[in-house]
Amino acid sequence: MSWVARFLPTCQEMSHLLSDALDRRLPWHIRARMFAHLRMCVLCEQYRHQLALLRRLLRLKDDSHGTGGQAPQPGLPDEAKERIRRALHSSHS
Amino acid sequence: MDEVVGPDSHRWIDEHGDYLYRFALVRVYDSNVAEDLVQDTFLAALQGTRRESGPTAERRWMVGIIKHKIIDHFRKTAREPLREGDLTDIPSADDDFAADGHWKPETGSGSSWPKNPDGLLERKQFWNTLGICLDKLPPRTAQVFTLREMDDMETGEICRLLHLTQTNLGVMLYRARKQLRNCLSVRYFGKSEEGAH
Repeated sequence: MSWVARFLPTCQEMSHLLSDALDRRLPWHIRARMFAHLRMCVLCEQYRHQLALLRRLLRLKDDSHGTGGQAPQPGLPDEAKERIRRALHSSHS
Repeated sequence: MDEVVGPDSHRWIDEHGDYLYRFALVRVYDSNVAEDLVQDTFLAALQGTRRESGPTAERRWMVGIIKHKIIDHFRKTAREPLREGDLTDIPSADDDFAADGHWKPETGSGSSWPKNPDGLLERKQFWNTLGICLDKLPPRTAQVFTLREMDDMETGEICRLLHLTQTNLGVMLYRARKQLRNCLSVRYFGKSEEGAH
């Protein structure tokens, strides 16, 4: 292991930092060490990409569902519709 | 039964019922709770008045109401103490790393995640798998993950809402992300015949 590696976070530490970085802006000296680690480590770079992709997917999906995109999950069951219809009715009378 | 309950409310169930139900279901992971939230939303809508007109405005208005209902629901469940799995160290939690802090070779590698989200958005099987993976998370962990990643809520707000410290929230999000990544790698991206259907 090179001497540089001793100054860089381990992959395990990186996994925490990469998660934190999605929630807040980390100090520059930490970002610099993360950057250096990512340049050398395929698995951490892959992990960074996977977390980012997951976030993009969830946010894109939220915008698209209902605007003609395919329904990914079942709709409101019929019994529930009937129950709600009755509830609306009785709340009004 | 055919009597008109306010001019719109019958139409609402058919036009917005499915959408609102799915909107709630992906956030609360419980079909009974989701049904109740839809009902509460329509009841609240009966009392309220909408400012803008037009079908998209109506949908936006309903979504605004159900978002509040969902947050109220989370707030109620937040009064219950955290369950074991949400914070205590689950033994498998850091099985992903070797003693020297490196990823174990089998974690993540071999699965082929795509570069961008385009193809996946439409793929029903992916969303089903994601649902299965979310179900495996402890319930509160799944809640905070949803609020953060789906609804883009600031961490400070999630902490206030659910009475969590920043540290607890950080741990929960870390676990949620890593477990979902692992689960998807195995159950979806690991398959060589990925996307056959």
